[in-house]
Amino acid sequence: MLFPLESALTADPKTVAASGDYDIVIIGAGISGAIIAKQAAEAGKRVLILEAGTGANRTLAGYDDLLTNFYSAASKDNQSPFPLNANAAMPRSPLRKLQAGQTDSSTYIVQSGPYVSDTTYTRIFGGTTMHWEAKTPRLLRSDFKTRTIFGQGLDWPLSFEEIEDDYRLAEREIGVSANVDDQQYLGQTFPGDYVFPMRGLPLSYLDQQVNKGIEGTSVELHGKTYPLKVRPYPQGRNSIPNPAYDGGKGYRPIGAVDTHQVEEGGRCQGNTNCVPLCPVQARYHAGKTLAKAFAVNGKSSERLVELLSQAVASKVNIDPDSGKVRTIEVKVYKDPASAAHETITVKGKVFVLGAGAIETARLMLASGLPSTSGLVGRNLMDHAYLLNWALMPQICGTMRGTSSTGGIVDLRDGPFRERQAAFAIDIHNDGWGWATGAPTSDLLELVDDRNLHGADLRRGVIDRVSRQLLLAFMIEVMPVESNRITVDPRYTDPLGNMRPILSFTVPEYTMKGAAYGRHFARTVFARLGAQDHTYYDPSDFGYVDFEKQGYAIRGGNHLAGTHIMGTTKTNSVVDKNQRSWDHENLYLVGGGSMPTIGTANVTLTLAAMCFRSSRDILKYLH
Amino acid sequence: MYSYSIRTLDELKEFLYQAMRLEHATIPPYLTALYSIKPGVNQDATQVLRVIVVEEMLHLTIAANILNAIGGTPDLTRPDFAVDYPASLPDGETDFKVGIQAFGREALATFLKIERPAQRPIHLVGKGLIHRKTSPHTTALGNDPRHEDLHFYSIGEFYSTIAEGIKYLEAEAHRVGTTIFTGDRSRQITSEYYYSGGGELFAVTDLKSALEATELIIEQGEGDGGGIYDDNEHELAHYYRFDELVKGRYYQKGDQPGHPTGPQLQVDWEGAYPIKANLKVVDIDIKKDPELREAATAFNTRYGEFLQLLTRAYNGQPTLLLEAVPIMFEFRNMILELIRNPLTNHPGKNGCPTYEIPGSTKQAAVTRQAEVRA
Repeated sequence: MLFPLESALTADPKTVAASGDYDIVIIGAGISGAIIAKQAAEAGKRVLILEAGTGANRTLAGYDDLLTNFYSAASKDNQSPFPLNANAAMPRSPLRKLQAGQTDSSTYIVQSGPYVSDTTYTRIFGGTTMHWEAKTPRLLRSDFKTRTIFGQGLDWPLSFEEIEDDYRLAEREIGVSANVDDQQYLGQTFPGDYVFPMRGLPLSYLDQQVNKGIEGTSVELHGKTYPLKVRPYPQGRNSIPNPAYDGGKGYRPIGAVDTHQVEEGGRCQGNTNCVPLCPVQARYHAGKTLAKAFAVNGKSSERLVELLSQAVASKVNIDPDSGKVRTIEVKVYKDPASAAHETITVKGKVFVLGAGAIETARLMLASGLPSTSGLVGRNLMDHAYLLNWALMPQICGTMRGTSSTGGIVDLRDGPFRERQAAFAIDIHNDGWGWATGAPTSDLLELVDDRNLHGADLRRGVIDRVSRQLLLAFMIEVMPVESNRITVDPRYTDPLGNMRPILSFTVPEYTMKGAAYGRHFARTVFARLGAQDHTYYDPSDFGYVDFEKQGYAIRGGNHLAGTHIMGTTKTNSVVDKNQRSWDHENLYLVGGGSMPTIGTANVTLTLAAMCFRSSRDILKYLH
Repeated sequence: MYSYSIRTLDELKEFLYQAMRLEHATIPPYLTALYSIKPGVNQDATQVLRVIVVEEMLHLTIAANILNAIGGTPDLTRPDFAVDYPASLPDGETDFKVGIQAFGREALATFLKIERPAQRPIHLVGKGLIHRKTSPHTTALGNDPRHEDLHFYSIGEFYSTIAEGIKYLEAEAHRVGTTIFTGDRSRQITSEYYYSGGGELFAVTDLKSALEATELIIEQGEGDGGGIYDDNEHELAHYYRFDELVKGRYYQKGDQPGHPTGPQLQVDWEGAYPIKANLKVVDIDIKKDPELREAATAFNTRYGEFLQLLTRAYNGQPTLLLEAVPIMFEFRNMILELIRNPLTNHPGKNGCPTYEIPGSTKQAAVTRQAEVRA
């Protein structure tokens, strides 16, 4: 058989409801749930994973269907491969501009103006790793104590040193490609013998052209000098395995072509549509970890991990005396096109909510479980993105390589963080797409407005696209309690589950970073001789006025903070193992636990935290 | 009766060259069938063919590793390396022809023959090699390089002979305190340069690794001792992957050969472009289809450059394999161009790559460029 049959099997709702012996019940088949399921199964525990999506993409044929959806979609946004499913809806474009106080409930997330976030996550088997870009930088040491160092945000109850080993486990699980030498900047250090599982992917030609223009130059910020250069990003996609990994044992990437490998991905071919979906599964997604979890057998060779898909958790039931979770109510629908469903109750010893920062908080609030601290749903964070785009003076081969191979990252840290947000800058190999809808928008203009065809049209497209440079500033957002997720019985989905309501204001600290970012982009463009085409439209849904200038702020899909971890039950929702302070057998895992997000994409860090939680769960079960 | 044992190192080297030639010869038929499939249909067949093409490339590289291990020189630019299709392959007591054709029942029947597990029946054990039935003008594969008119019973038997030869020659070398594994270690291609190839590529440095290498090739093709899986019970042998398509059903663990019991799969037997089988460049009318003819020639030239690049990679420059990857994408585009266009003088038939590789061994621009970059 071409795919492991085991992974195509799915549990039956009646058996699941009748089963009283699950050690762990996990909500959400994303990377958090996948890691905890795999670690628990390897320790011999029985695990049930509940997934809101259909789970069809757990087979190769299902994955290929998603690719076909993407190829045939007119708009190639990051949700385009995923079929509409009102029972497990997810945020989607288009969004509309709102006035202050105005509310829009026409899309899945209810939003109130004036700032509208286009942040997305994916409610499907594999979670948001089904469309992530797979950049995997670690947080910096200082990111764990921004309150102490800069007087901003919150300190983690964990230090970098305490999480470092788990970062290495996460890098192994994801199969990170990077070179240690490239990652040693701003005080990031690695043990002497450490290498990443796979070698770093090469910088794209565009990266190299940008680097040529800026290397050796610097900028000054609040009296300190920051040298500029383009550095490669560590990435969760397959490159060349490093033979020196694991003390010389090497790393074995799971290939794409045999029975088992076909599920797990080949080598990166630079297809440039990493977001939303890699055609050869070179990019990591949680399905790879789940395939390993499903393959674990118990003592009498029974499968230890079961999957129940089309199962939307709707209520967490608490025992009022002990405060422990007793059961979870789950609505199991038969068909994505219909709201017909049965409600089952699932029992277990430990419960894990790993549905992403928004859905996990939504479920807690919908279950009437606000926590002692009152912080469930609060401190919502997401990197603010500010896009800057220009035309390079020479052909730079834009559209080659993965979505983003390198960036300018030396302003991720510095004393300036006392006053303004840090940022990391991604150089986008896919041109102006994110900002303007290129290359489709270029093509339409060349055909409709300039009447080009044949060779002239081909030449025209090349001239337009292959010089496009997009600098995406990923700007730090600190936790603010009023940035939050709430629920309201007025807004429900077809199954009767309350939808998330998002209230968000881009904090001033972040806007100062954005304003400086705009200035910084102009400096870089000038050094490159690139022609600035950046324009922020006041009618844009993410338009924000700041100090008499307007900026269009994009959501970064790096969601965090809705059940932050801390040192006590009054200052946080979970402890440093992601266990709920109020419910001893409940773990709220994922980005939602992060007290700050610095300037690192959140997935690697939340994966590392889930290795930590896995150990704590196993300890609790013993 | 002619004894087919290998008795000298030179003979072994020539056998291994023939092994590389044999492994390579399966790639054009599989690749063409793969790209002949129309978009949007035959998802399962596409996956099966893709997997097998990649594994044949792995086998080619493994054969090169063995040849390098004993101090040989892989040469994919020898004028006889690329075969003239249709070529004949051993099929037990007879032989059969493998050619370039579209995906379909006929192609699958041929592919099953290529990968057929074939152990000699009792009455033929110890009876020596088999005389060719096909015309001497047909390219023969799986034959004895010392006797063009004699072929092995099966590809498995051909490789077993190589394995026996390795064992014999290494034992002989040991008797005089030496080894046949004198090749330069840096010429070995490892999984650093090649993975997700349905098996681990490992360095061949001694008797153990050399025998593991030959076993891997045999088992991936035919299965382990008649079972449907290869040795690690993990991968279905090529023969049974093709059999799944014929039977319209997946195999699953515990199944007996010929009786898959897994989920059903769909094959659209009409879902391929009607390409003209075993087309030659001269068959394309230069006046009526000048562009198609030019495309066929361009493909052959590029393919020749690719073989030159591989030769250099297998001769101490493994990093050049990274340059081969984008060329494989070029092939896809060039092949699709040929396959999707009609041939004027063959009504109802489309073009296809001819794999008539120019015999020229002069270094092409592409390899020079690749070398500079590497």
